[in-house]
Amino acid sequence: MQSLTTLRIGEAQPLDVALRVPCYHFGVPRSQAALRLIFFCCFSLLLGGCRSRDEVTSGGPTEITVWHPWGQDNAKGLAKIVARYNAMQQKTRVRLVFTPTDLSTNQKFFTAVAAGKPPDVSFVDGTQVAQWAEWNALEPLDEFIQRDKVRPDDFYAPCWKQSLYKNHVWAMTYCADPNFAFCWNKSEFRRAGLNPEKPPRTIEELDRIAKALTVDKGGRLDKLGIIPWSQYGAANSTFTWGWAFGGQFYDEKTQTITANDPKIVKAVEWMVSHAKRLGITRVNASASGWGTGVSDPFSTGNLGMKCVHISTLHDLTKYAPNLDYGIAPLPGTPDGEIGSSWVGGWLLCLPRGSRHPQEGWDFIRWMCATPEGTKAIADEMGLLPGFRRSPAIAKVKRDPKLKMFVKILEESKHQRPVMPVQAYFMGALDRAIDRAVYGKQTPQQAMDQATAETQRELDLILGKKPK
Amino acid sequence: MTSIRKPMTKLEKHHLRDGLLFTLPGIIGLLGFTIYPVFASLYYSFCNYSVLKAPQWVGLANYSVLAHDEQLRVAVKNTVIFAAMSIPLGIAAAFLLATLLNQKVRGMAFFRTIFYLPSVVPAVAGAVLWLWILNPQYGLLNTALAAVGIAGPGWLSDPAWSKAALSLMSVWGVGGWMVIFLAGLQDVPVELQEAARLDGAGAVAAYRHVTLPFMSPHLLFASVMGVIGVSSFFAQPMVMTNGGPADSTLFFAQYLFQNAFQFFKMGYACALAWALAVVLIFITVLLFRGSARFVYYGGD
Repeated sequence: MQSLTTLRIGEAQPLDVALRVPCYHFGVPRSQAALRLIFFCCFSLLLGGCRSRDEVTSGGPTEITVWHPWGQDNAKGLAKIVARYNAMQQKTRVRLVFTPTDLSTNQKFFTAVAAGKPPDVSFVDGTQVAQWAEWNALEPLDEFIQRDKVRPDDFYAPCWKQSLYKNHVWAMTYCADPNFAFCWNKSEFRRAGLNPEKPPRTIEELDRIAKALTVDKGGRLDKLGIIPWSQYGAANSTFTWGWAFGGQFYDEKTQTITANDPKIVKAVEWMVSHAKRLGITRVNASASGWGTGVSDPFSTGNLGMKCVHISTLHDLTKYAPNLDYGIAPLPGTPDGEIGSSWVGGWLLCLPRGSRHPQEGWDFIRWMCATPEGTKAIADEMGLLPGFRRSPAIAKVKRDPKLKMFVKILEESKHQRPVMPVQAYFMGALDRAIDRAVYGKQTPQQAMDQATAETQRELDLILGKKPK
Repeated sequence: MTSIRKPMTKLEKHHLRDGLLFTLPGIIGLLGFTIYPVFASLYYSFCNYSVLKAPQWVGLANYSVLAHDEQLRVAVKNTVIFAAMSIPLGIAAAFLLATLLNQKVRGMAFFRTIFYLPSVVPAVAGAVLWLWILNPQYGLLNTALAAVGIAGPGWLSDPAWSKAALSLMSVWGVGGWMVIFLAGLQDVPVELQEAARLDGAGAVAAYRHVTLPFMSPHLLFASVMGVIGVSSFFAQPMVMTNGGPADSTLFFAQYLFQNAFQFFKMGYACALAWALAVVLIFITVLLFRGSARFVYYGGD
C-alpha cells in the first residue's frame, strides 16, 4: 500500500501499481504471480486436451464409441438395437455418437483417424469401403473373421463383394439395400385410362405410360409419370438405368472406368429425352412444391411411378395406408436387362487405430452376422440384413410386397464398382447428369467427361501414369 | 535524424517480460492456429496429400493441373459473374439505405435497427429462409410477382436465374456496409455542404461534388471487402443449391471445399487457396492504384 501513498499529484500513475497491490497480498512478487497464473492456465488447458477416456474404465464393462450418421427414426431405431446389445452382455457398453460420414461429409472421421483418436467402430457407406481402405483409414477384419468362422457364403454375394478390396475384408454389411423395386399408383393408371394391373416391362412402355399420366395445367405440370434422373439422386439413377439398358460402368481387370459405354449413353439420352419433353424448369417448378411423408408426390398422386427402396415402402405404409399401388421388377430394354437391380448398403468397420478392436469386432459381428443382431436391425429399423440366415429374411419373404426385395438380394448381379474413387465417381455422375439434363452438354459429352475425370482420379490413387 | 536508443531500465525489462507473458496465450494461438497453417498450406500445395497418408512432394504438379482444370474455370466464371452482379447491387443498396437513414426523421433509431437486423441473422438461417422466399410455387417473391401479373422464374432451380437469385438475397444482408456508409455520411462536413448550397449548387450537384468525394474511401473499402467476400462466399450456396443447378452456382469457395473435404485432395485445395490469395492481393493493389485519382481522404 506504501507505493500508492507516495504518489505525487500530477504524476501519471503507472498501471502496474494497481497490479502490484493484490500481488503483495499473496506475499509473492507480482511478476512471479503472473507467471504462475499463466503457467496454471496453460497447464490446465493441456491437461484438459490430453485427458484420455481409456483410463477411466477399469473393472466395469469396456465402453466403445460408435459413430453413426443416422437421424430421426433411424437414430431412434439404432438406439434401441444398441440397448438390446448392452442388455444382453456385460463385457462391453456401446456408446453411440452422431457423426455424419456420408459421401459428402466424412472430414470429421478422417481427421479423427489422422489424429490417432478415431471411434472404435464406424458406419461406412458401401461405396466408400475401398476408398477408406486404400487411404489406410481402416483395420482389416480378416483375422477376426477367420477366428470366428464368418464365411463369405453367410452373406449375399453382392454384400460380401462390397466389403472386399485387395483380397482383404474391411467391413461387414449391416444393411443390404436391394435397389430397386418399381412402384406404380393404380388409381392414377385408372384415371389415365391405363390397365392398373399392367406395369411397364420395357422402357418403351414406360415412356408411353409416362406420357399418358402427365397432366399439364395451363403450362404448369400438375402430374407427372416419372422423373428418370431423380431415383435417389442422379448418380444412383444412372446406375439403375445404365444397367437396365445393359451397360457396364467399370472394368475391374483393367481398372478402367467405362461410364461412356454406348449403352449407358443411351440410358442417359433416354433420361434427357424426358427432361426435354417436359421442360426441366417446369419439372423443377413442380418438384419444388413436393414434400415428404404425407405430402410425398407418389402418395399424393402427383408422381405416378418411381423406383423404391424398402424404407420408402415402410413410409408409404405409415403415411399413405390407403394408397392403391403395385410393386414389380424394374422395366428395361430388350437388349439390356428387364427386371435389373443392384445391391447397395451400409457397413460397419473398425477405423485404423481403434482402441478396442476386439470389443468393436464383437459388436460388428453381432450386428451383421448373428441371427439376433440382424433381427434387431430388421425389427427396429425395418432394414434388410446382408446375412442369409437372419430370421428377418424369412419373415420378409412371407410379406406379399416386401418379398420382392429378398428376391433382388438373391438374384441381383450388380453392385456399384468397388474401387478407391467410387465416391468421386458418384459426384462426377451427379454433375454429368446435371449438365446433360440442363442441356449444357450432350449425353455423350457429359459421360465422356465424367469418365475422363474419374479415370484421372483413379490413376492418381493407383499411382498409374495418366493415359 | 537518428534516435539514440537508451538501454532498457530494469523496470522496462520487467514490463516487457510481463507484457510478453500476458500476451503469450494469444501469441501461441496466432503461431499455432494462423501462422503455422498458412505456411503448412503453402508446403502442402506442392504435395499430394489426402490427410490420411503422408504428403508426397509433387513439385508444381498441382499448379499445372489448376491451369487446365475445366471445373475450376466454371467456378471462377461463376464467381466473377456473381461478383459483377452482387457487389455493385449491394453497394448501391447500402448507399441508398444509408442516405435515407441519414435524414432527420422521427424514430430513425428504429429504422436503422430494422435495416441492420438481417446482418445479424446467421448465414444458414437466412439461407433457409430465402429458400422459402425463392420457392417457385409457394415462395413470397413469386406470389408477389404473380399479384402484378408476372410469372416468376424458377429462381434457384433455373441455371439462368440462380446467380441473380443469390445476388438478390445478398442485398438483404447489406446492413454492415450500410452502417459504414452511414458513419461516413455523418462525417461529411456540414459547412462544405452549406457552402455549396450558398454558391448555388442544387441538391444533386451538392451530393455529387461534396458528399460523394467524402464517401469515396468508404466506397473503395466496400469494393475491396466485397471482392474478398465474394471469393469466400460459401455458406449460402452450400446450403441452398450445393453448386447446382448445372454447376451454375458452383463458386470458388465451394470448389475449394469440395476438393479439400469431399475429394480429400488437400494438396490441390491448398494450391487453389494460394492461387486465390495471389489473385486477391493483385486485385486489391489494382483497386487501390486504379482508384487513387477518385478517392479523397480529406485534408488538403
